[in-house]
Amino acid sequence: MREFKDPRVGFGNALLAAALQDDRILALSADSSGSSGMTPFKNRFPERHIEFGIMEQGIIGYASGLATTGWIPFFSAIAPFVTARPFEMFRNDLGYMNQNVKVVGRNAGLTYSDLGATHQSLDDVAILRTIPGVTVVCPGDPLEIERAVQAAVLHQGPMYIRIGAPSIPILHPADMKFQLGKGIVMMDGCDVTIISTGTALWRAYDAAEMLRARGIKARLISMHTVKPIDRDLILAAALETPAIVTVEEHYRVGGLGSAVADILACMVAPHASLKMIGVDDQFASNGPYEELLGLYGLLAEQIAHTVEDFIRHDPI
Amino acid sequence: MKALKAEETAALESAALRIRQDILRMVRAGGAGHVGGAMSCADIMAAHYFSILRIDPAAPAWPDRDRLVLSAGHKCMALYAALRQRGYFDESILDTYGALKSPLPGHPVMQKLPGVEANTGALGHGLSIAGGMAMGLKLKKSAAKVYVVMGDGELAEGSNWEAAAAASHHKLDNLVVCVDCNGLQLSGKTEEIMNYGPLPAKWAAFGWSVRTIDGHDFGQIVGNARAAPFEAGKPSVMIAQTVKAKGMSFAEGKVDYHYWKPKGDEMARAVAELAAAAEGIKA
Repeated sequence: MREFKDPRVGFGNALLAAALQDDRILALSADSSGSSGMTPFKNRFPERHIEFGIMEQGIIGYASGLATTGWIPFFSAIAPFVTARPFEMFRNDLGYMNQNVKVVGRNAGLTYSDLGATHQSLDDVAILRTIPGVTVVCPGDPLEIERAVQAAVLHQGPMYIRIGAPSIPILHPADMKFQLGKGIVMMDGCDVTIISTGTALWRAYDAAEMLRARGIKARLISMHTVKPIDRDLILAAALETPAIVTVEEHYRVGGLGSAVADILACMVAPHASLKMIGVDDQFASNGPYEELLGLYGLLAEQIAHTVEDFIRHDPI
Repeated sequence: MKALKAEETAALESAALRIRQDILRMVRAGGAGHVGGAMSCADIMAAHYFSILRIDPAAPAWPDRDRLVLSAGHKCMALYAALRQRGYFDESILDTYGALKSPLPGHPVMQKLPGVEANTGALGHGLSIAGGMAMGLKLKKSAAKVYVVMGDGELAEGSNWEAAAAASHHKLDNLVVCVDCNGLQLSGKTEEIMNYGPLPAKWAAFGWSVRTIDGHDFGQIVGNARAAPFEAGKPSVMIAQTVKAKGMSFAEGKVDYHYWKPKGDEMARAVAELAAAAEGIKA
């Protein structure tokens, strides 16, 4: 039986564990500490938990200033409100000033499905990827979330961690190796490589298993770090498998698929063809999460079908 | 509030004059610059860098130093001139203003120049960053203070008011703002472009302790800054009335000199005027 865990709870527990070891860690809240998983931190370290209310632009600036004095602020709130809304603050105060601040966007992707496009976040990876020096991490299972928080504390510099809200299953063994900037090969195969990230990972995982059951040897990569991306792993996949399919709960523009395409487009040697699964150029609809995923082809069976269709009809 | 000694006032007048002269030097090197605001805040910057701030140019990263964040980053020529005069860098660097990869960009960059505390320029960022510094220093039990120089036109950026509310909510009484209130912005009078007046009432309503001062009177700038916090548990703000392009009489109070590309004999006139002022100080 699979064990499912709430990503926000996982983040909050990992943050508390890190804070018990490192007294430089602060938690910054925009009136949403509890729903961002930070209640355990707040209870244990009330003096290191700072409430600002609903002022995300200002909080990014405050976080930058706090970091200049040696603190490591973690700021977590709803993904669009910590990325698109304060984008210029993220770019200048964190990126340009190269400050050691960790921003955690929760309820990312379509996970605020019923609340509609204002609360969904399908562009956060795209816009933050443009900021020099910002590490963008989309952990895909509870263990990756825990390891991403640990890595964020050790990493010097601005970082964005993107998590969802609905519970997700543990996919990795407990002794998994997690390194920023290095993708994880979760299944090996030679027929197709599926590269996925973040909230979409477990459905891509299930799709890969379905394909394997149908005799298609799918390689599956968890590309938890979208920036800097694991170029070597993508190059190897592009040379060793005839097709690559990226799967993400994000716009196809600017996200994981774009990052992979950037690398493939510059390859001289004959390489895999690419299919990107993600949301196309539209404000997404609203409704139950699973149904919304289905609308954009992000359910496991749909992913498997798209992959199979692609490799069977690929013009190459 | 204790009055400044005559020699202290004279030293500040001299420092401010050198700042203005160095601003002209940078404009000459780069061919243009945001001279109006740089000149209007030159006395404020001189007062901070030569009387108010507890800083050590030999140790720009000293953790317990006071910080000055120039939120109105386009006035950076005044900041560069003050830092140069305090010995943060060699004066020859002033002549790189406007050059490719100069450490003196048109808006300040902390990685390029010691003494610069924040990468400002996009308006409405400095107060939040400074608030975070003040909060961080308080959490570390440091006695250091954080000073912010803002523009009055800049106050139309809503993010400032987020920052102001948070500073009073969190009782950042180690945060001291000076608004360089020259009354003009890029395209006209601030009260006509977007009226945020009355400023003292606005800041007070946001929980700040407010004093209105003459931003060209060293006794008032230094005396009030040294008296901060004006009230225990509150951040302090000085609304400093200033004259845009102060020191260049042909440009004073004129909106056209927000950004200045000298024409005709303007540079020569400005240089001569400051030289005459220097003679006056000597005499």
